[in-house]
Amino acid sequence: MSTPTTRARVSLPRPTPVQRLGLLLGSIAFLVPLLVEIPGLAPAGHRMLAIFLLAILLWVTEAIPLYATAMLVILLQVLMLSDQALFGGVGPLTSAASYFAALANPVIILFLGGFLIADGAHKFGLDRNLAAVMLRPFAGNARTSVLGLMAITALLSMFVSNTATAATMFAVVIPILAALPAGPARTGVALAIPVAANVGGIGTPVGSPPNAIALGALEASGQGVSFIGWMLLAVPLMLVVLLFAWWFLTRRYIAADTPLTLQLSADFDRSPAAILFYLIAGATVLLWLTEPFHGISSSTVGFLPVVALLATQVMGADDIRRLQWPVLWLVAGGIALGAGIGNSGLDAWLVGLVAWDALPLTLLLFLLVGVSLGLSTVISNSATANLLVPLALSLAIGLPIDPTAVGVMVALACALAMALPISTPPNAVAYATGEVQTREMVVSGIVIGGFGALLLALVMPTVWGALGLL
Amino acid sequence: MKLALLILEDERPVREALRRDLASFARHVRIEEAEDVPTALEVIEEIDTAGDRLALVMVDHRLPGTSGVDFLIGLADDDRTAAARKVLVTGQADQEDTIRAINEAGLDRYVAKPWQADALCDMVRDQLTAFVVAAGVDPLPHLAVLDAERALSIVRERGDL
Repeated sequence: MSTPTTRARVSLPRPTPVQRLGLLLGSIAFLVPLLVEIPGLAPAGHRMLAIFLLAILLWVTEAIPLYATAMLVILLQVLMLSDQALFGGVGPLTSAASYFAALANPVIILFLGGFLIADGAHKFGLDRNLAAVMLRPFAGNARTSVLGLMAITALLSMFVSNTATAATMFAVVIPILAALPAGPARTGVALAIPVAANVGGIGTPVGSPPNAIALGALEASGQGVSFIGWMLLAVPLMLVVLLFAWWFLTRRYIAADTPLTLQLSADFDRSPAAILFYLIAGATVLLWLTEPFHGISSSTVGFLPVVALLATQVMGADDIRRLQWPVLWLVAGGIALGAGIGNSGLDAWLVGLVAWDALPLTLLLFLLVGVSLGLSTVISNSATANLLVPLALSLAIGLPIDPTAVGVMVALACALAMALPISTPPNAVAYATGEVQTREMVVSGIVIGGFGALLLALVMPTVWGALGLL
Repeated sequence: MKLALLILEDERPVREALRRDLASFARHVRIEEAEDVPTALEVIEEIDTAGDRLALVMVDHRLPGTSGVDFLIGLADDDRTAAARKVLVTGQADQEDTIRAINEAGLDRYVAKPWQADALCDMVRDQLTAFVVAAGVDPLPHLAVLDAERALSIVRERGDL
């Protein structure tokens, strides 16, 4: 008897009340700028405002999947704001191809390289082996072990997605948790991982999608930042926040004399494929770090491992299929949205709404960081960056501050939002272990995120200026 | 949504022994019992109506009326239950029944009575994980009853949306 072919049974999810509300308000918000004449806004700006309002409501309520909203943004821009628009009459419009091209934006190519290296690191067990080797010096005491765990988590998270880092580290840590006495010590360890994964993601351009969204928008406005340039801007903040988080979490949850031995065995894959992978990944990271010497842009460097890994068959078609395409589309949608806001003149109109220059700069930056932090606490970090980066960059036009600082600040602020299980996927994983109560996550998220945000808004611009980075 | 585990067993002491040995799952998994096939079908209906997912059935072969193996074959044909992992817990299935269970019902595990409590728990954890992986269910709400390593490997593929 043969196995019958089973058809996949797709059951449509029932929309939640919030999602219904999102669809309803989104449709209304979409129609208003198309039906109502707004003084001071160009005709193309009206159409872009409609798309932008719809995107806000769909991304905030997740009425449709985040990546679907991103694709919808691109489609609507093509149908309403390109040379293929269904209705003309709003002046010259850019080509439809330029909106579609968002998916091949250099930043997406950079991410493609980052994703493939991250997937390879997991495929060849490099992530766990590095964790095992790096944790050895920290063994013995629970507080120092947590420092070690946070350091390796943050380092991995700089190159691997925050979610994958948290998943890998929790796979390592869950057996260790069982060795600790139930209670605060376990909570402390289970909180340290997502905090380090979230904060580590700011370290490099490939660390998390908001970085890519900010980079893409900055590049579009001619303010590109190199790989190492980004690291110089973000790593100091990352290190200080990590150290503070370690101090706070260990003082609050882990008694000084708690013993904890992390004995992980490293077993490096020495097959020819694995060695080729190490070489290609190592060369890529080296080239990323040395851009000022050779001048090859980080996106081009990011494409090298893609070609090299596939040509040598270290990785194959399955690995391409497994890439996180939804994330790439979400970033692409953000890039297209930013481009549309700039092209249609919506940016200038939005900035003109408020006399921003009447407000002190510090207060403005504080507000910007606060809004990014607040929004990305309740919705996706990437969706927050998609919405706020274009706004922040428009705002920067009229301010006595480098736009790069503003773009980077929004991306970094998104990563600092970690007060709820829904704030980021690493938080969701920590919560799922059952060792962390929501209340504890709120406390640590507010303290650590708040500390980071204050530093980011009040101190970092001065630091960047003093170091001559901007 | 909860994962549900159905025990189909006509002898009450055996049902109770299974439930006792699986007590560590009870906090996170909906554990249901049935003494015969009609009751089991009603329970499946209830699970489906409540929006839960039947993840694992543990079935005795020798039952009054329909046999355990025939019940499993029926499950394999039902959309709602086809994905459920199927385990025969029995001391009395002859070779022919066992062959039918494997070939026609897609039997996943065979547990011979008497079982070892630890091994049983490991098997249940393994099968619940296999269900979550195959059915595309979000593993995070059920992490406590799953093999963490395999469950987290699903999470890692999601990326930072």
